[in-house]
Amino acid sequence: MFGALDISASALVAQRTRLNVISANLANRNSLTDAAGNYAPFRRRVPILAPGDPTSGSGGGVHVKDVLLDQSPLQIKHEPNHPFADDKGLVYYPNVDLMIEMINAMEASRVYEANITAAEATESMMQASLHLLA
Amino acid sequence: MILGMFDSGALPALTRLVQFTHVRHQVLTHNIANLSTPYFKSRQLDPRGFQASLASAIDRRRTTPNPIRGPLEIRDTRTFQFKPGGIDAKPQSANDNVLPHDQNNHDLERTMQRLAENTMVNNAALKMIRNQLGMLRLAIREQV
Repeated sequence: MFGALDISASALVAQRTRLNVISANLANRNSLTDAAGNYAPFRRRVPILAPGDPTSGSGGGVHVKDVLLDQSPLQIKHEPNHPFADDKGLVYYPNVDLMIEMINAMEASRVYEANITAAEATESMMQASLHLLA
Repeated sequence: MILGMFDSGALPALTRLVQFTHVRHQVLTHNIANLSTPYFKSRQLDPRGFQASLASAIDRRRTTPNPIRGPLEIRDTRTFQFKPGGIDAKPQSANDNVLPHDQNNHDLERTMQRLAENTMVNNAALKMIRNQLGMLRLAIREQV
């Protein structure tokens, strides 16, 4: 039975990590430079989920295997007077779409809630088992 | 421990039922954890298969000289292996041919329904076990 709680907890952690990635994407929607100040438009990060839970060593549950960069094309705007414009007068902006991030955030919280319900069901079953003693 | 005390009547069937609901709970929780994992195929443990095994074991016990108080001999199937301490199960992949964009055949409503039913059956079986043990306690105490 405690394996079931591990599975639900791993899902909660994975969805929270996913929400962190989404928040980071939204925060950097307009970031054009990296930490050193060089021109490096922010690329959207994508969390990769996979079944299994390496931290508890079991095959059940889910974990964030990797956080990869989204390879879709960057947004291009024609701003010839921009300090970062190239010789054609184009500036590249991050490829973060507000709608996609918001919908992903909604899905992540829905899955988070479903796993809270599953953990509560586990708790109810364990309480009923403990009740045998009383 | 004491032969025939915990191994007779309804207790073996109820114990097997609780073991089954525990195993099914693991499968359902794993499916819920992977609701948003792409390419994940959810797995199922059909309660009807378990019910058929349990029913045939109870029928078999009814034909023995000890129809109510004897032990329950339940046979292994392809999906379930009945050990003394629990049940080992091989869940099957659900065969849903319509897959959404992320190739994950999740069905949130059905899964939550199965979770709720499984929890209720588990708690009901544990209540019945508690009643049986209560009756034993009454008999031991020789008081009402």
